[in-house]
Amino acid sequence: MKTIKFLLVSVCFFVNAAMAQKGIDPTPEDITKAKKLREIYAKDDIAILESSDYISFDLNKKDGKVIVNHNSKENLMNINYRSDIHKAEFYDSESSIETFSMKYRNDKTAQFQVTDEYYKDKDLFYNDAKVKYITVDFPVQGYNYKYEMQKKYDDVKYFTALYFNDEYPILKKKISFDIPNWLEVELKELNFDGYKITKTSSQEKDITHITYTFDDVPAVYKEEETPGRSYIYPHILILAKSFTKDNVKTPLFRDYKDLYKWYRSLVLMMKDDPNVMKAKVTELTANAKTDDEKIKNIYYWVQDNIRYIAFEDGIAGFKPDESNHVFEKRYGDCKGMANLIKQMLKLAGFDARLTWIGTKHIAYDYKTPSLAVDNHMICTLIYKGKKIYLDGTEKFNSLGDYAERIQNKEVMIEDGENCIIEKVPGGNADANKEVFKAALSLDGEKMIGTCNKSFLGESKTQFLNIYNSFESNKKKERLDGFLTRQKKDIVVNDLKTSDFKNRDSVLTLDYGIAISNKVSSFDNEIYVDLDFMNEYKGFELKDRKVDYEMDYKTYFNSEITLKIPDGYKVTKIPSNLVIKENNFDVNISFENTGKEIVYKKTFLFKNACIKAGEIGKWNDFNKKLIENYNQQITLSK
Amino acid sequence: MKAKLLLLLLFVTSSIIAQDKKEIRDFFWGPKDEFKKANSIPDKWKNESAVFIHKREHYNYHKFGASVTYTSAIRKRVKLLDQAAVTEFSQFSYKNKFYSNKAYGTVWRRGTNFVGVKVVKPDGKEIEIDTEKEAKEVNGEQKLAIPNLEVGDIIDYYFYSVEPFKSVYDYTFAAVETPLGDVYPTMDLKITLETENDFFVNFNTYNGAPALKQIPTKSSGERSYELTEKNIEKNEFPRWFYPYAEMPCYKFQVIFARSGKFEKLADGFLSESEKEIKKTVAKEDIYDYYNKKFVPDGDLGPIKDFLKGKSFASEEEKVREVYYFCRHEYYTRYIEAFVVNDAKIFYPFEYYGGNPIFFSREESFINYFMYFLKKNEIDYDIIVATPRYNGSIDDLLIQGNVTKLIRVNTKNPVYLEYFSPYTSADQIDYSVENSKAYVLEVSKGKRVTDASTVVLPSSTYQENNYKTKTTLKLDDFTGFKVKRESSYLGHLKENEQKEKFNFYDFVYEDYKKYGTTQLLEYVKNKKKKEQYTNELNALINKMKDKQKEAFEKSAEEEFEFAVEDYKLEIKNSGRYGKKSALEIEENFNVKDNLIKKAGDKYLIEIGKMLTAQIEIDQKEKDRKNNIYMVYPRSFDNEIILEIPAGYSVSGLEKFNKKVENETGGFTSKAEVKGNQLIINTNKYYKNYYEPNANWNKMIAFLDAAYQFTQEKVLLKKN
Repeated sequence: MKTIKFLLVSVCFFVNAAMAQKGIDPTPEDITKAKKLREIYAKDDIAILESSDYISFDLNKKDGKVIVNHNSKENLMNINYRSDIHKAEFYDSESSIETFSMKYRNDKTAQFQVTDEYYKDKDLFYNDAKVKYITVDFPVQGYNYKYEMQKKYDDVKYFTALYFNDEYPILKKKISFDIPNWLEVELKELNFDGYKITKTSSQEKDITHITYTFDDVPAVYKEEETPGRSYIYPHILILAKSFTKDNVKTPLFRDYKDLYKWYRSLVLMMKDDPNVMKAKVTELTANAKTDDEKIKNIYYWVQDNIRYIAFEDGIAGFKPDESNHVFEKRYGDCKGMANLIKQMLKLAGFDARLTWIGTKHIAYDYKTPSLAVDNHMICTLIYKGKKIYLDGTEKFNSLGDYAERIQNKEVMIEDGENCIIEKVPGGNADANKEVFKAALSLDGEKMIGTCNKSFLGESKTQFLNIYNSFESNKKKERLDGFLTRQKKDIVVNDLKTSDFKNRDSVLTLDYGIAISNKVSSFDNEIYVDLDFMNEYKGFELKDRKVDYEMDYKTYFNSEITLKIPDGYKVTKIPSNLVIKENNFDVNISFENTGKEIVYKKTFLFKNACIKAGEIGKWNDFNKKLIENYNQQITLSK
Repeated sequence: MKAKLLLLLLFVTSSIIAQDKKEIRDFFWGPKDEFKKANSIPDKWKNESAVFIHKREHYNYHKFGASVTYTSAIRKRVKLLDQAAVTEFSQFSYKNKFYSNKAYGTVWRRGTNFVGVKVVKPDGKEIEIDTEKEAKEVNGEQKLAIPNLEVGDIIDYYFYSVEPFKSVYDYTFAAVETPLGDVYPTMDLKITLETENDFFVNFNTYNGAPALKQIPTKSSGERSYELTEKNIEKNEFPRWFYPYAEMPCYKFQVIFARSGKFEKLADGFLSESEKEIKKTVAKEDIYDYYNKKFVPDGDLGPIKDFLKGKSFASEEEKVREVYYFCRHEYYTRYIEAFVVNDAKIFYPFEYYGGNPIFFSREESFINYFMYFLKKNEIDYDIIVATPRYNGSIDDLLIQGNVTKLIRVNTKNPVYLEYFSPYTSADQIDYSVENSKAYVLEVSKGKRVTDASTVVLPSSTYQENNYKTKTTLKLDDFTGFKVKRESSYLGHLKENEQKEKFNFYDFVYEDYKKYGTTQLLEYVKNKKKKEQYTNELNALINKMKDKQKEAFEKSAEEEFEFAVEDYKLEIKNSGRYGKKSALEIEENFNVKDNLIKKAGDKYLIEIGKMLTAQIEIDQKEKDRKNNIYMVYPRSFDNEIILEIPAGYSVSGLEKFNKKVENETGGFTSKAEVKGNQLIINTNKYYKNYYEPNANWNKMIAFLDAAYQFTQEKVLLKKN
C-alpha cells in the first residue's frame, strides 16, 4: 500500500506561493479587459498590453566595435481561460542576455526556472544559437506578468532588424533609439505603408532620440507557406554606416562594397588545397567531349555526392569551409559546397566564383548593406561571357535550371577586390510543367486504360527528391501508392519510367490503370465520375489572411478521355469552369466528340503564390471546383 | 605540491581512459575481428536499403562488493545500398558521459560511453573517424556527422557503455525482449553475455531462434554465454500481429542479488543458483514468488462505512459495488489533486489528512482486495496471467510481463483487476482474456499453497459492441445535417472512454455517487477557496476547448472527410457496470461532400457514413503471418436518410450484402420505410486469433465492408 508522500519542500513552496497571491491575482478591471481582448483576439491566449524596445549604442574602445544594448519590456496578459507559455530569448556567440526576468503585477519577481541551452533546429546540424527560456503559467483570465530583458550585441553588424509584430498581439508597441552623434546609422523603415506607425525625433545634447509607436499590432501569422517575414511585417533595418572616434571616421557597412569587403576578408582566411580533388576532377572530365559535359559532370557529382549539413558557428556561419575539407568529408553547408564547385571547376579550367545571395525568403537586395541581405551561397560560372549559376545544395537540378528560391534574386559575385552585382534569371511555370494523360474506356462498372505522367523543371526535382528519399526496396510500393493515391480502387500495372538518373530530360511514367467504384449503373443509365484524382480539391485557404507561397511556379495539365460505350449516348456532362486571376488561372472543360468525352484541366499558378487579397476569390473558386468534381457524366441507352 | 599531485592524478586518469579506449577498440576491431574483411553481401539482398554484415550485442555484469559495473555494447557493420541508408547512418548523437539511474538516492556514479566509427570504401580502404575531433557538443550531447560516407560504403561502428553503480541489496536490470531480426537483413548475429556470481540470468529463445550456449571460462565465478545466428531476414510487422508470438526472438533479464536474503526480495523469477540460466518459469516458481509478495492488508474502514445500511441481491453484487467504490476511494478521488498539483494551482495533498491512500500499483490493489475478501469470508483466487502479445504463459520468463487478477469465487465468478477510471468489475484486461493462466490457490486467505492452470474467460463479439444510429437530412442538395447517436459496450467502451474523457468527465460523477468531499471543499480559507476555484475552473474550461477540437478532429479522421459545426455530448458515462453503455450524441454538418450531381438527379455516397473501412491492398493479401487481434468485436450501424418530398431512391440492392464465415462477417440491408431510407449494417470479428489459412475469409468480409462504403443510391424526382 502506497501512501502519498508529502515533500517538505513542496509544502514550503506552497506557503510562499499562497502568501504571494496577494496583489498578483488579476483585478476586476484586468478580468474585464482580458475578456474584451479575447473577443477581439479570439485565437490568441496572450495579449501584450505594452511592449517597448529601447536601443542604445556604446563603443568598445579595445576592439573598436560598436556595441548595441537592447532592452525590452513587456506586460503580458492572459486573455484565455488559462495559458501556459514558453517565454524565450535567443542569443549567440556575438550577443549575450544580461537580464531575463518575469515579475508579478505587484513588481515582485516570479521565480521561474530559467533553462539556458543550445537551440536545436532540425535543419541545422550545429549552430551556435542559444536560447534562454522559462515556462510561464497564467492560472486565470486577466493574470499578467511584467517581462524584462536586456541583451547586448558585441558588434553592431549582427544587430540587423527590429520588428513590431510578436507571437502575440500587442496593444501598444514602442521602439526607441538613442543614437549618439559619433555613430552614423540609418534606420531604414520597411513595409510601413498601411500601418499607423508614428515616429518622433528629438535631439538632446549629443544624442538623437527616435521613437516609433504602433498601436494594436496583430500577432504574427501562424500559417505555413507564408512569404519571408521581411515582406509582410513592418520593421526597421539598422544600418550602421560608420563611427567617428577622436575625429577618425571608421567605415562600417556603408554600401554593398563594404559588405563584400568583409565577406572577402573571410574568404581570404581560407586555405584551400585543390590538389586533393585533382584526381576526381580528372576522372570526371577525362571522357567529357564538350565543356558543357565537363561542367555537368562536376556539378552533378557535387549534387549527388556531397551531403548538405548546415553548420552555423560564429564566424563559420559566414566563412566558407575549405573545398578540400568538403571534398574529403563529403558534406558541407551551402558555402562549402559553392566553394567546392568553384575549386573543381577551376581545376577543370573554368572561371568560377563564389556568389552571395539572399533567397526568395528575403525581401532585400544589395542596395541595403546589411548581413540581413543574404542567407545563401552559390557558385557562378562565367563561361563565354555568360553567367551560369550553380547551387550545390540543390539535388537533381539540371544545369541552367534555377530553383524558385533563387530566381530573380540579386547576387554578389566575387571579382577580386571588387564584386559584381547581377540577377539570377527568372523562369516561368511552363518550365515546371506537370502533365497527366489518361485514355479510358468502360469495362462493366470499371474504367480501364492507359496513363502517362510527365514532369519538368521543379516538378521533376521535387518528384526525384521524394522518390530518392525512399529505401530501394520500398520505391516501387511508394510509386504505386503515389499513382493510386493510396486507394484500393485504383490499380496500376505495367509501369514504365524514363531514366530517373537523367536530370536533363523530361521525366515520364507510363502505366495501365483500372479504376473501380467511379461508375454506377442505375436502370438504363450509367453515371461516370471521371475525376478520380481530384487535384486541388482540398486546397481551401480557410481563415487565411496572408499570402500563400508555393514551392515553385506551378503548371498542371490533365487530359482524360473516355470512350463512349457502344449503344450509349452522352445525356449530361458537367459544366466547364474557368477562372483567370492575376496569380491563378484554371480552366476545366468537357467536350463530347461523339466518340469520346475529352476532359481537360489546367491549373496555372504563374507566380507561385496566391496573394492575401485573392484568397477570397480562390476560396469561392475552390467551392465551385468541388461542385464541379461532384458532377457526373450521364450515359444513356 | 598539491597541484603536482592533482596533475599526476589527472594524468593517471586520462591514461586509464586511453587504455580502456584501446581495449574497447580491440574488443571489436582488434586482430581477432573475423569481420574485418567481410565486405560482400549475398545477391538476394542486393535490392535492400542496407544489410547488417555483422551485428554484435555484448553484455557484461561485473561486481565488486556493492559496486556493480554494467557494460552493454553494440557493433554494427552495415553495407549501405542506397541514399536512404546513407542518410540514416550519416549522423550520430550520443553522450560521452552520463549518470547511472540504477542507484536510487544514495550513490550516483558516472558512466562512460565509447564510440568508434569507421567507413570502409568499396575498394576495402578503411577510414577510421576520430570521433572526439569530429563531434560537436550540444547540450551535453555529442553530434557526429560521418565524413566521406557514400552509397556502396560500409559503415562499421560500435557503441560501448560502461555504467558503474552501487547496489547494496538487489537490482533487477531492465528486461530485453526483441526479435532476432532488425530493420535491415542480418548476415551474422552474435549476442554475448558475461556474468559473475550473484548475477542471476533468465534467458530463453523462442519461435525457432537458436538456443543460448554456455562458453567455458577460466574462473568458476565467471560465466559466459553466446547466441549466434546467420542469415536473418529483416523484420516486417503487418496489421494485427504479435511479434513475440511467432517471430524468432529472445528474451532476457539479469538480476543482481548479493545474498540469499536479497534473492528473496528481488523482482524476478530467480534460478536456484546463478550458475544456471533460468529458461522457464514453473508454477512452483510463481507461487513461491507470490507468497513473498502478497499479504492481505489494508484499512477496511472506508468499505465498512460504504456498506453500512446497504443490502445486495447477491454476494456478486456486493463485490462489484465494493470494487467501484474502491476505484473511487483509492483512485479517482485523488485525480483532481494530481491535476491541481501539476497545474501549480496549489499543493493539494495536505488537505487529505495524515494518510491518504492512493493505489499506484497492482500489488496494492491485490493485497487490499485479498484482505477485504478474507475478512468477509468470500472465497477467491489470485490469477497470474501474461498478455497474449508476450506469447504463452508457458513461455513466461520476465516477471514484469505478469498481470495479476482476483477471481472471486461466487456463484458466477467475478474477475477484478487493478483499476483505471474506466475498468469494470467482471471485465478483465482484454490482452489476457482467452489466455492460459495460473490460478494461485490461497489457503485460509493467506498463503498460496498450489497453482493450477485455467483458460481465462473470453469476451464475445456481442459483448464488445458499438452501436450507432446516424440520421442524415439533406441540406440544399449539397450536404447533410447529421445526427449520430452511439453506444459502446465492453472493451470498445473502455477504449472510447480513454479516448474521449478528461478527468472532469468522471471525477465529479464519482464524488456525487459516493458523497465524497471535493478537494476544494477542504479549503476553509474563503479567499483561497475562491482563488483556487477560479484557477481550477479556468483550467477545466481551457481543457474543454481543446477537447472539443480533438473530438472534431477525431470524427474527421474516422470518416476521412471534413465536418463542420461539430458538437458532442456525453449522455451516459457508462462507468458503473459492465452492462451500462457509454452513450454519445454528435451533431455535425457535411458540406459539399457525399453528393454527386448528374443533371437533376443525385448520387448519394451514403455508404461513406459507415466511416472509413480497412482497405486490404495486394501486399496485405499476400500475408504470411497468423492474425492476432485485440478482442472479438461487433459494429452495428443504422443509417437513416430522410428522403426529401417528391423524390425517390433507387439502387438499394447494392446495399444488401452478406458475407459471413467462421472469422466474422459483414451484412447490410437497405429498405425504404415511408420517407426514410434505412440501412442496417453489422460487422463483426469473432475471434482473438485467426490462423493464416483463415486470412482470405477475413478479407472477404473486410472487402465487403469496404465495398459498402463505395456504394451510392440514386435520388431522383418522382
